[in-house]
Amino acid sequence: MTDAILNVEHLNKNFGRKQVLKDVSFSVQTGHIVGLVGPNGAGKSTIMKAVLGLFNYSSGKITIDGELVSPTSHKAMDKVGALIEYPGIYPFLTGYQHLQLFSKESTSKDQIMDIVDKMKMDSYINRKAKTYSLGMKQKLGIALALVDRPKFVILDEPMNGLDPQANKDLRKIILDLAKQGTTFLISSHILSELEKLVDDLVVIDKGQIVYTQSMAELESGSKKLLVLKTSDDAKAKDVLSQNGYQLDDGDKLSIIETEQTKMADVIKLLSDNGVDIEDVQHVHSDLETSLLNLLKNDKVKES
Amino acid sequence: MITLVKQETFKLLHKKSTYAVSATLLILMTLFAVLSRSHPKYWGQPQDQFVQLFTGINWIVLFMIAACSSIIAMEFQYGTIKELLYRKYYRGEILVSKWITMLLYSIYFYVVAFVWSLLMKVVLFNDKFQLSDKYSGGHTVMETQWLGIVGSFLTIWLVLSLVLLLANIFKSTAAAISIGIIGYFALNIVSSIMFVLMQKWEWLKWNPLNMMNLSNQLVSSSFHKMTLLSTPEMIAGSLVYTAIFMAISYVIFKRRSV
Repeated sequence: MTDAILNVEHLNKNFGRKQVLKDVSFSVQTGHIVGLVGPNGAGKSTIMKAVLGLFNYSSGKITIDGELVSPTSHKAMDKVGALIEYPGIYPFLTGYQHLQLFSKESTSKDQIMDIVDKMKMDSYINRKAKTYSLGMKQKLGIALALVDRPKFVILDEPMNGLDPQANKDLRKIILDLAKQGTTFLISSHILSELEKLVDDLVVIDKGQIVYTQSMAELESGSKKLLVLKTSDDAKAKDVLSQNGYQLDDGDKLSIIETEQTKMADVIKLLSDNGVDIEDVQHVHSDLETSLLNLLKNDKVKES
Repeated sequence: MITLVKQETFKLLHKKSTYAVSATLLILMTLFAVLSRSHPKYWGQPQDQFVQLFTGINWIVLFMIAACSSIIAMEFQYGTIKELLYRKYYRGEILVSKWITMLLYSIYFYVVAFVWSLLMKVVLFNDKFQLSDKYSGGHTVMETQWLGIVGSFLTIWLVLSLVLLLANIFKSTAAAISIGIIGYFALNIVSSIMFVLMQKWEWLKWNPLNMMNLSNQLVSSSFHKMTLLSTPEMIAGSLVYTAIFMAISYVIFKRRSV
């Protein structure tokens, strides 16, 4: 699939004098789950709010499914479900009444109960929302975003306040919906959770896009390490580098793995040189490491 | 737009306070009716009480000030404003749907209070006065009540337009309610000073506080010597001020970042 449901082109946004978004451009492919990540205050929520037509931007263009989005042009919002920052909840309404209130008239009772069921909210859906815990409110917020079965769903920190089981349930719901063609734009700080979900990644720092790639590419671009513990690390380092192995910087003895790296060769080489191997570990750098590296390099580039 | 008004009504009808307030209105009206029957000397003559809906008009102002400030400010307080806005509807429509809901709510209050006042009259005062009795300024009791209702409806909406504007600016229920209520009752205190000042600088007659005397003027035409405005001028003035406040709210609401 090559058609994009969301296109953001050269988006600029100022809050007073401070420029919070600088020439932001990215697109979200239909049916993909896209992660929007970045440090606190990088502009994630700002981007999401702009995409939802919640405020004016100084320049740029946002289209959803080909339709322009701005505070005065909201037609495309009919296809969008969203949860931004924290769920807005009326304390005097029950969970079910919220879903009734915000769902379209075309959304049936069965559809409402379906999402209640999937989110496992049955036991408290008819209780007033003022009695809800943080996690329950969060679930209701997610249910509100999904109840109309929109084509495009925007979730800002959806895992906030959810327990591990609810997290797992949510992941399943998102993956199932994505399989059926729903597109997701999700921001999260919990990178290990995001890693299990997203197809593509948009990384933002200080209001600028620093990286947009698929997860697969990010993973393949990262280093795989073979971490060794030996009787004499210093000697082992010398021997290995003399024999053409690339070593990673740092205190630990770690070989950067390539296609040719064979464990047996390493063991043989070291034992031939009188170094005993005490422990071996394969280390893949995860999303967190890759991301932190990315942001670190980006800052170097900027200065 | 109909969908949006339905949604606002849905929220209003699911608030406990909506029912509590209606019940309170009826209880207070009954209380003042009973007091007026037993002690007319202290609590006012039955006719006087009847024409002002057994104090109902004053309570309706209070309840509507609270309702108008909360229908706007609660959305900011609960964070639901985003959910309202990122839908296919235009911002202006959201605000106007709230206004329409409040207009319907105020009409509901007047209808309830009017019907209840008739009931009180029939039950408690059938022997005391007739609706066709002459009251003041050549009007009958019934006519006086109607003029009072029309006048107070216009002035209430002048106050409410200001409350809706304040709720929009401050995003806080408390601020909008207190300024609205203080403003409404401050009129009685400042009006005497205002009338004196108006004798000196006539243009002051166009200030919005003066418009609040509309009900008084509708009932007794001699009141225009105080307000220095003719009744049509006052009606027009009230409507113009209401429109101005509404227009400012509309512009603010449309421009606001959430």
